[in-house]
Amino acid sequence: MAILDKFSTLAARYDALKQSGSDPFSVKFDDIISSVEGVVNGKRTVLFGTNNYLGLTFDPVAMERSIEAIRQHGTGTTGSRIANGSYKGHEQLERELADFYGRKHCMVFSTGYQANLAMISTLVGKDDHLIIDADSHASIYDASRLGHAPVVRFRHNNPDDLAKRLARLKDVPGEKLIVAEGIYSMLGDTAPLKEFVDVKREFGAYLMVDEAHSMGVLGQRGRGLAEREGVEEDVDFVVGTFSKSLASVGGFCVSSIEGFDILRLAARPYMFTASLPPSIIASTISALETLRHEPQRRTKLRANSRRFYNGLKDAGFTVGPEANPIVAVILNDVAVATAFWKRLIDEGMYLNLALPPATPNSSAFLRSSVSAAHNDEHIDFAIELMTRVGREFGLIPDAEPDYSNVTQFPRVSAERPAARASIAPARRREADVGAGMA
Amino acid sequence: MTEEKLALLSEISDVLKAVTSKDVELKPGMNIVNDLGLDSIAVMNFCMALEDKFDISIPLNDMASVVTVDDLADTITTLRSNA
Repeated sequence: MAILDKFSTLAARYDALKQSGSDPFSVKFDDIISSVEGVVNGKRTVLFGTNNYLGLTFDPVAMERSIEAIRQHGTGTTGSRIANGSYKGHEQLERELADFYGRKHCMVFSTGYQANLAMISTLVGKDDHLIIDADSHASIYDASRLGHAPVVRFRHNNPDDLAKRLARLKDVPGEKLIVAEGIYSMLGDTAPLKEFVDVKREFGAYLMVDEAHSMGVLGQRGRGLAEREGVEEDVDFVVGTFSKSLASVGGFCVSSIEGFDILRLAARPYMFTASLPPSIIASTISALETLRHEPQRRTKLRANSRRFYNGLKDAGFTVGPEANPIVAVILNDVAVATAFWKRLIDEGMYLNLALPPATPNSSAFLRSSVSAAHNDEHIDFAIELMTRVGREFGLIPDAEPDYSNVTQFPRVSAERPAARASIAPARRREADVGAGMA
Repeated sequence: MTEEKLALLSEISDVLKAVTSKDVELKPGMNIVNDLGLDSIAVMNFCMALEDKFDISIPLNDMASVVTVDDLADTITTLRSNA
C-alpha cells in the first residue's frame, strides 16, 4: 500500500466528510428521467447540477440520429483519427462548428478537457509564454504542466494585473498566449473580455477564450461571451465542449489562424486518443442545429437564470456576481455547506457541492446550474426549499417573504412508491417533450 | 548569510505576514508548505504577493521546484537579476 501513502491526508479528509453522513463525490442516481429530473435514493429529484443548459439530453431528434448512426457506422471508431482515419461525421461536425463561429478552422477532441490540454500545451512552446487567469479550470492548469512554456498567472479577471505581467515580459522573446474563460464554472462570473482585448492588443499577445459554460448561453447567436462583448475578431482561439449545451461529450477549438491544421500532427492529446464515436458525433451535430435554430431556448434559459438567482439573492443568500446559469450560493463553512447539500438531496433537489481547493478563497459553494428545461415550478420549488433550509440553518434572515404566488412543485414532494423507482423504466418521452420551452 | 540575503528574507517575511497573518522568523532551511503551514491556495496567494512586492513574475514551473525558504530567496534573486 506504500505507493498510495501520499494520499493519506486526502483519504483522511474524505473519510471525515463521509463520517458527516454525506458523500458528495459519489452520488448515485437510480435513474435519470429527463434533462431536469432524476431519482436519487428512490426519490424523485429535481436536477440543478447538470450543466445541461439547453435541456437537450433527451432531445428526440438527437436521440434518433444517434441510434441511426450506430446502426450505420457502429459503436466506436476504435482508434485515433491520425492512425485510423476520420469518418465523414467528424469532418462534418468540424465544418459546422467552424461555420457557426464564422471561423476557417475547427478541430474536434474527445473531451473538453482534452481540447484545452491539446491546444494550450501545443500552441506555446518552451520559448513562448503562457499567461493564465489564477482561477482557471483544472484542464487549463493541467495543460500548462503538459506543455513546455513558462506559465504566469494573473489575478482573477484583473486586466491591470494581466497588463503588469505582460509588461514584465515585454522585452523577452517568444509569443505570449493569454487564456481566459467565458463563464467561470464555480461562481458563474464572466471575464472582462473587452479590457483583456485592449491589453492583448497593447502587448501583441494571442488570446484564447474557453467558452465551455457560455456556448449556447451568451451572445445573440449563442457563440458565447466573445460574441456578447463584440470582441470575436480579437479572440484568436475559441475552445469549448459538447458536454454542456450540446448534451453529449467532446470538445473543440475554432480559429481562423493560418496553418491551423498542422496542430493535428503536433497536439499529442489529439493524436493519441480514440476519436469520438459516430453516435456522439450525430447527436452533437443535431444539438448544434437546435442551438442555432431555437434561440427561444436561450431566452428561456436567461429568464430561468434570473428567476433562480434573484430568488436566492432576495432570500438573503450570498450569491455570485452575475445572474448566469451557474448560480453559486457562497458559504464559508465546509461542514455547514455539506450538511446543507445533504438536506437538499434528501428533500429532492440535486446540485453540486464545491469545496476547496476547487473554490476560490477556501470557501464552499452550493453550485447550481439552471437549464432551459426547468419550468417555473422547478425553480420556485428549489428557491423555497433552499430558503427554508437556509433559515433552519440560521444562514439567512427569518423574515417571512410573500410566497402567495409560488406553487409547490408537487411531484417532488412525494416519494415514488416503494422501490419501483430504481427498477421500473422511467417514462422518458413525456417527461421531456416540450421541456418547458417558451 | 550575506546581508543582502538577510534583507531579502526580512522582506519575504513581511509579505508572508501581510498575506497570511503569520509572523514567522524565516530560516533558509524551512520548508514552505510544512514549516509555514501553508496550503496550496495560501502558497498561491503568497506567491502573487511576492510577485507584486518584487515586480517579478514567478513562473509556475519555477515555483514547482521551490521547497525551502532558501530556494524561494534564490528564485527571487535570479528573477530580479534577469528583470
